[in-house]
Amino acid sequence: MTAAKSLASRALSWWWGIAATLLATSLCAVLLPTPFMNEVMIFAIYVSGCNFLIGRLGFISFGQPAYLAIGAYCTAFYLFYVGTNPLVGLGVGVLGGLLGAIIIGPFFVRLRSDYFAMVNLALAVVLFYVTQKLLVSITGGDNGLWFLTQMQSTPLLDLTAPAQFLWFAIIVATAVTVMFKYLDGTIFGACCLASRLNEDKLQFIGYDNFKIRLVAFIIANTVTALAGAMYAIYFGFVSPEMGSPSRAAEPVIVTLLGGVGTLAGPLIGAFAYTGMKDVISNLIGNWELFIGFLLVFIMLVADQGIWGTLPPAARALLVHLRRAAGRARN
Amino acid sequence: MSLDPRLVMSSVIFGLSIGGIYFLLAIGLSLCFGLMRIISLDQLLYYSIGAFVTYSVGVATGQFWLGVAAGAAAGGLASLAVERLIFRRIYARDPTFSMITSFGLLFGGIGIIKFVWGVVPRPVEVPTLAQFDVLGTQIPVYRLIIVGIAVVVYALIWAFLHRTIVGKAIRAAIENVEHVEGLGINVGRLFTLTFVIAGALSGLAGGVYAPLILVDPMMGLEMLAFVFMVVIIGGLGSIKGTAISALIIGQVVSLGSLIYAPAAQMAPFVIMLAILLIRPTGLFGVALTRR
Repeated sequence: MTAAKSLASRALSWWWGIAATLLATSLCAVLLPTPFMNEVMIFAIYVSGCNFLIGRLGFISFGQPAYLAIGAYCTAFYLFYVGTNPLVGLGVGVLGGLLGAIIIGPFFVRLRSDYFAMVNLALAVVLFYVTQKLLVSITGGDNGLWFLTQMQSTPLLDLTAPAQFLWFAIIVATAVTVMFKYLDGTIFGACCLASRLNEDKLQFIGYDNFKIRLVAFIIANTVTALAGAMYAIYFGFVSPEMGSPSRAAEPVIVTLLGGVGTLAGPLIGAFAYTGMKDVISNLIGNWELFIGFLLVFIMLVADQGIWGTLPPAARALLVHLRRAAGRARN
Repeated sequence: MSLDPRLVMSSVIFGLSIGGIYFLLAIGLSLCFGLMRIISLDQLLYYSIGAFVTYSVGVATGQFWLGVAAGAAAGGLASLAVERLIFRRIYARDPTFSMITSFGLLFGGIGIIKFVWGVVPRPVEVPTLAQFDVLGTQIPVYRLIIVGIAVVVYALIWAFLHRTIVGKAIRAAIENVEHVEGLGINVGRLFTLTFVIAGALSGLAGGVYAPLILVDPMMGLEMLAFVFMVVIIGGLGSIKGTAISALIIGQVVSLGSLIYAPAAQMAPFVIMLAILLIRPTGLFGVALTRR
């Protein structure tokens, strides 16, 4: 009885967070402008892959645009040259990302974390050059590939209409969040965390660090490719700019901004970052200045991020207020 | 495919000069990692600052070499301020931590440069247009001057680390920082000195390279991946390895663009991957030990 009850309450607390997030995003989707929310949702998916890498594996990657570009270009190739169904295009993009991660992963996860970051950045640079210069006949170089008008509308949720695409993006983002939440509770999730904290001990217990890291790398970067595929469908357009190395730090910054390793971190980080970006670039137009020093500030002062800093502070404030109220009553 | 030997010759010289620039930039990253266990991407910021100061002083006074000296000094000063204000607080933490912080510094610094100098690329005049003849090939003297500067810097750094007491203390601290501290040496001051030397060399690299490229705010980011590769291939913390890999990458970039231009940007990456697969710490790298 008690066991069943605790299980039920655990399932409830499990779903409570997801439902609350879904409700909040739906509310935002109704209240805020659609293009803004679309960008926030896709960006949240993009960041959640990076968040998994940093928070669970302790691997920082400055090359996430590379995996984003893989997903985006696979989708674009399908929709530009082969078919018209955006859902199939999405599947092709994810599959491409999965294959890419399987091929790249074994080479990269052997490296130490700081080398890992650099190698990924180098990969992003190379892919940028490949899409921009080397394969101009296929990728169209800087002109990119346009296929917005070639996509056919899909039943239920029409992905070619931005307003309906938003609901699709919210569903996908929720599914990704549920997946990561599920992974956290499995043995595999525990192993990932353990390999970040102490790889020697994990090996001593009998787990293979390499395999765990490889699988986690593949999961994280398939999710990143999924975000790339969603960008491609949403814009109906891809160009090398999407995988530009100059945007390499964005997912890392947003992960830190939201709170490393927290489930709601990517969403909150993406929300705050996209919002600030809109406001700041309208106000002063010098975006790098702001984002660079924001990053330094986060690292020096609040390295737990928004989700890691604000709720504990709010809880402390609540306790304080309650105590003060109790004292006043007495 | 037959290559014109004269083209090969000038391409080798080009590779040497670009390798010299890579070396000047990478040596700072490598030393900072060896001594402080930080990954200081903001060296690329001092590189841009050096180039812009060279441009401004050159325009104001007409003296290119005065501009280069001012650029190196500006790089050193900027790095001094950054070390005092920011890096001092994060030496004790993980290398990845310093990497993210310095990436933020690089980005914020690019914002400041855009604010001060604007986004328009600036040309810097080449101080000497003289060329001389090697086996029937016209070689610009200025490229050889760059190679000469890199060689002199290598010799000076080597002499500094092996012949002076401060340099010996730095080498000892790379081995074991606690023991050096136990001898009563102010390690914090060694850290500052190393960081400023690195910053000044980056500024020097920016100033010297400025006439061969257009000076624009994003120049540091464009260089970032190549400097990374040089440091990784050489191995973090090794000066000899940095010099050798700078030579290799310089030649790969320039000879590669002679053979098949689009592949030249990728070839260094392929080499890096191959070397890391064989030796995950680079050619001459030290094993990473947490302090």
